[in-house]
Amino acid sequence: MALLEVRGLTRHFGGLRAVAGLDFSVEQGEILGLIGPNGAGKTTVFNLVTGFVRPTAGEIRFEGRSMVGLRPHAVTARGVARTFQVVKPFPGLTVLENATLAAFPRHARRRDAEAHAAEALDRMGLAPKARILASQLTLMEQKRLEMARALATEPRLLLLDEPMGGLNASEVDVASEIVSRLRATGLTVVLVEHVMKAIMSISDRVVVIHHGEKIAEGPPAQVVQDSGVISAYFGRRAGA
Amino acid sequence: METLVQSLVSGVLTGALYAMIGVGLTVVFGVMRIINLAHGEMVMLGMFGAFWGQALWGLDPFVSVVVWVPVLFVGGALVYRFLLRKIIPGGELNTLLYTAGLSLLVANLALLLWTGDYRTINLRYAMSPMRPFGIAVPIPLAIAFGLALLITGALYLFLARTDTGRAVRATSQNAEAAVLMGIDVQRIAMLTFGLGTALAGAAGVLLAPSLYLYPTVGEILIVKCFVIVVLGGLGSIPGAIAGGILLGLVESLGAVYVSMALKDGIGFVIFLLVLLYRPSGLFGVGKA
Amino acid sequence: MRRAAPWTIGAAAALGLPLVVHDPFFLHLCILVLMWTLLGSAWNVLGGFAGQVSFGHASLFGMGAYTTIMLYLQAGIAPWWGIPIGGVVAAATALPIGLIAFRLRGPYFSLSTLAMAEIVRLVALNWEEVTNGPVGFLITDLPPVRILGTAVNWEAKEPFYLAITLLTLLGLVATYGLKHSRLGAYLVAIRENEDAAEAVGIDTVRAKVLTLALSGFLAGLGGGFYAFYFRYVDPDAVFPIALSMEMVFIAMVGGLGTVGGPLVGAVFLTAIGETVRARFQVGHLVFYGLFMMLAIRYMPEGIWGRLHRLVAGRWQGRGVAAGGPRGAA
Repeated sequence: MALLEVRGLTRHFGGLRAVAGLDFSVEQGEILGLIGPNGAGKTTVFNLVTGFVRPTAGEIRFEGRSMVGLRPHAVTARGVARTFQVVKPFPGLTVLENATLAAFPRHARRRDAEAHAAEALDRMGLAPKARILASQLTLMEQKRLEMARALATEPRLLLLDEPMGGLNASEVDVASEIVSRLRATGLTVVLVEHVMKAIMSISDRVVVIHHGEKIAEGPPAQVVQDSGVISAYFGRRAGA
Repeated sequence: METLVQSLVSGVLTGALYAMIGVGLTVVFGVMRIINLAHGEMVMLGMFGAFWGQALWGLDPFVSVVVWVPVLFVGGALVYRFLLRKIIPGGELNTLLYTAGLSLLVANLALLLWTGDYRTINLRYAMSPMRPFGIAVPIPLAIAFGLALLITGALYLFLARTDTGRAVRATSQNAEAAVLMGIDVQRIAMLTFGLGTALAGAAGVLLAPSLYLYPTVGEILIVKCFVIVVLGGLGSIPGAIAGGILLGLVESLGAVYVSMALKDGIGFVIFLLVLLYRPSGLFGVGKA
Repeated sequence: MRRAAPWTIGAAAALGLPLVVHDPFFLHLCILVLMWTLLGSAWNVLGGFAGQVSFGHASLFGMGAYTTIMLYLQAGIAPWWGIPIGGVVAAATALPIGLIAFRLRGPYFSLSTLAMAEIVRLVALNWEEVTNGPVGFLITDLPPVRILGTAVNWEAKEPFYLAITLLTLLGLVATYGLKHSRLGAYLVAIRENEDAAEAVGIDTVRAKVLTLALSGFLAGLGGGFYAFYFRYVDPDAVFPIALSMEMVFIAMVGGLGTVGGPLVGAVFLTAIGETVRARFQVGHLVFYGLFMMLAIRYMPEGIWGRLHRLVAGRWQGRGVAAGGPRGAA
């Protein structure tokens, strides 16, 4: 049974079909890349899966149980964590406080929550910055914090929304390395990304979305050759 | 039938004055995203201006509009320039609370200066109502209505035909783009706040002969004003006009056909429903 | 525990005051200050800790007042039961209000609470069969009670002073407890970034609702006390907008989101307000308005926050200005 199954997922915003009859699955332990041109509906898919937006139709099953209608905190409680495209730290709180808040829902006592939080920070290399205010971190550090916070919720599935956005080439490599290591610890990852280098190097499989629909699926090297994918990104050659 | 027509007429007449107050609030919101809780006090100042104008200098209230509008315009501009401008960067809620403080300050200063006694303005030429087609129309209200139309018409011409008016509309639509187009947004903001205050004050002057005057009247007015402005869509002038007239009608018809007591309540319930389900106003033109 | 020392001393001093001071006017002033501290704390729980600025808290206060007075006059239920029940009823009233208001953000939340408070006032004014309409309720006799052998003299200020001191201490302890609880931490997260809070597993709706219930309970306690001290409850006394705004001002001028803020705010504003009222009868809220404006402009962290900064050299509590996006969608 797939860890996450999405069937016929649909979401309309007024007259706009943001997501239309989308089907895909995520297997335990894989890194799935979700790509597509801008406006294809990728972040909407994340919002649907994590409960920030309700589907107009369709089914979302995590570990066999439906998640449709759950609010985001309940989705997180089930074991699905996400990061945001534009990072959303708690700016006035320290790095450790940020992570502790994520651990609190599972560990009522502050000491336990802090311990789990510290561990998550450690995995992301943020331990030295524990007492720094989140608003004073660099972008790369804030992205690490975003991931550390997600890890502190003890997820089994991690949804990363454009984690490489705004990073330079060497930072992208570091981030890709981090994601691979996470998978090695048993996490399953779905990655929305525009930075092709990252997607190609770490994804096991890729799903391509265009106009809210899946237009291709398969190993990265194969998908990138698909003519439908190419025309979605670049358009058709004039006269072809 | 006659009662119905009577109610409709009263409703429209009062509604037009409500509309003017609402336009003052909405135009300020449109340009600066400020909800000015002290707006009711501006109306109150207009009312008392008319009262003292008559009591001290024998000025007919409808004539004193000419005096008070510029005074309140300047007053409003100064309030913006020296008080509000520093507060706005602190956020919407801070500004809201600041205007709440201002509202309390002005209303209570008025109480200290003029006591809470109810005042009225009596006009010798307006003691009995006109009766066109058998419908009773109080003369002060009719004159107020006429002047309100004039003032609103002038406002429309200003916004539509003058460069400054266009600048105001531009800033209202997109402040950042307005800056890029070379519009001095701070000056426009100051002007707009003065305009909003002047409209409120003018409405106060016009309404003064028709109501009991007391310093805390702003409290009820500001609440009605929200209802109007939210109904019509925050930031929309035609919306505020429509909202004002609608509220006037709802209150007038409600007082006759539902109950005197509950007519205010109806307004609030509609207000909540609009906020929840149609935040851009009944006509969908607001900027909520 | 070091920080508890001044509070414990203060509480002991407050409780012991009637042994030393007997001037009825001064005790009356203290009663008012304490009552407003309780009400300011009630508002602060929602406004300062949860970041939800309500302009309608008078509705909760008034529900407490009406419940308590009606239970006494119509069912003979004594104040020491009636006041807590008033608190519970107020908390229960807060829930449907929250249900509606929490769907809105920022200034729209605030305005909706104002509208709902007005609706409550109008219902009280017009539902004459239940609430006596504008006439309200009047207590003529308070229950004969003996404590430790002596009959309680309800004409004196002392019994009321002690009652409000206990209630206010309860309010302050509750506020302190909230601040240091997991729920308090959740509220900070919600204030900092509500979406992120939800994403890390915090049930933001439940947190806000629980906080609202506590806020309502405390406001209702204050209302119940009001009913017994002033012995007269009518819609204009307990439901007016001005009363809601007073609660806001006391909490904000004192120090939003702090435990001591409402106390400082109440002392400061009530003392000035009552002095003005004694001299001029009307317009006593003029300084509330003035200090609110001054506070927002120059001291967004409130008097308490500023004092703390000067004394301890670090932030205590957050002013509205210093906090993050206040629920802007």
